[in-house]
Amino acid sequence: MTTYPGAGPVVHDPMTLPVDESVNKYTFCVELKGSQWFLQKGKMIAYYGSIEFNGVGHGRLDRVVRTSFHSPLHAGDWVVADGSGKMLLADRAFDVNSYDLDDGNLTIRSGNLLAFQPSLSLKQSIIPGFLTLIGTGKFVAASNGPVVFMEPPIRVDPQALVGWADCPSPCHHYDHGYLTGVWGGLRAMTGLGGASGEEHQFEFVGAGTVLLQSTETLMAEQATGAVPNEPGVPGGGGVPGHQGSPGAPRLPGQLGDLQRRFGL
Amino acid sequence: MTFREVNAKMIEATVVPGRRLFSQRGAMLAYKGDVSFTPNIQGGQGGVMSMIGRRVANEATPLMTVEGSGTVLFGHGGHHIQVIHLTGDTLYVEADRLLAFEGTLQQGTMFMGSQGGVMGLVRGQVTGQGLFTTTLTGRGAVAVMAHGGVFEVPITPQRPVHVDPQAYVAHHGDVRNKLSTALGWRDMVGRGSGEAFQLELSGSGAVYVQASEEKL
Repeated sequence: MTTYPGAGPVVHDPMTLPVDESVNKYTFCVELKGSQWFLQKGKMIAYYGSIEFNGVGHGRLDRVVRTSFHSPLHAGDWVVADGSGKMLLADRAFDVNSYDLDDGNLTIRSGNLLAFQPSLSLKQSIIPGFLTLIGTGKFVAASNGPVVFMEPPIRVDPQALVGWADCPSPCHHYDHGYLTGVWGGLRAMTGLGGASGEEHQFEFVGAGTVLLQSTETLMAEQATGAVPNEPGVPGGGGVPGHQGSPGAPRLPGQLGDLQRRFGL
Repeated sequence: MTFREVNAKMIEATVVPGRRLFSQRGAMLAYKGDVSFTPNIQGGQGGVMSMIGRRVANEATPLMTVEGSGTVLFGHGGHHIQVIHLTGDTLYVEADRLLAFEGTLQQGTMFMGSQGGVMGLVRGQVTGQGLFTTTLTGRGAVAVMAHGGVFEVPITPQRPVHVDPQAYVAHHGDVRNKLSTALGWRDMVGRGSGEAFQLELSGSGAVYVQASEEKL
């Protein structure tokens, strides 16, 4: 499968398609041999062979779902591919990559995850909007621009974060040192001079890997489902009076509670 | 090397104390170390008069000052990034294409009419530069954004380069540019080739061209 410049497009057939590898930057090929894969709805672009696509949660695949799908609340966004053949996955010309987890864990933004092997189990992350994969197996994720792997300690723009592996400590970091002093106060009061747009990051420390995409353009969010409405669950709304200000919802990138500090 | 290209859409900048960088606001993706990002009211260097000049010229792009020690990753809007190293000459580029540049570079604003009078103004309209463009002079590195990949075309005195005005990104060196028109009767009746205007650059230097005719 050598490509020569100017030799025209590469033509694949079922035999030359790679097995569980990327076909190019934007397409990933999965081989099914009587096995199953989970994929997000609408990410399959073509397939060879006989593959059945079933919605999660009904039919004879109930057992697979039970063993590797632990967030049933958003099961409606996923389908199980079952059968034998080769299947191509892609997502709106975003860069697609596959990752191997070996008895590990990885948390990823819900919109970026395209497909995963049932040997991995999918769970909702405590952080809203993220999903966690635990176990051994392969998964496919999309990103806007190539993914860059970084070692902590690092602070990441919220929009550039794709996910992280093995870091237990994602937290918010607010950096508004320039809002102190006379000029900073004036700036905060009047809005003159603007904000740098970089006041808020996610901070990672400890051992692990952080996955970044190369741009700040987010992929469409996928619902991760609601969390149980009970006290102590982040985002569950179980603690009244502790869920942000009653006014407008906090926007991403908005300053912490500076408005209050400056009496705004 | 202040800027290192991580991939086509991301650069890594090394920040050391005493050498500040300017970057477009909101273009930081991640950073390590102790780095601070301060919004720059003046939109660059040169004091209040320069700021007013940039505002008037509509070349005021929201910039921030990056200081401290550490490494910063920059990227913006999925655009391709080209790092240009200047060795004492002047880079002409639109302000909104600037992703980041070293503080050692002198920033200025140039009136298009000062290069070729009225034809300079027409040229500015066709390339989308408007009446003014930004100049960066000195020694240092600049990261410029473009839609699609960027390639560098060297300009030598014997070989002038013709560029589609919409694909033009930036140029540096001792370069004269003029708009060459190939208008004929076909264009008048709507049967033109669509390539009636070209930017002709001659002299010695280099021009950067993007692989797309889409503006940022």
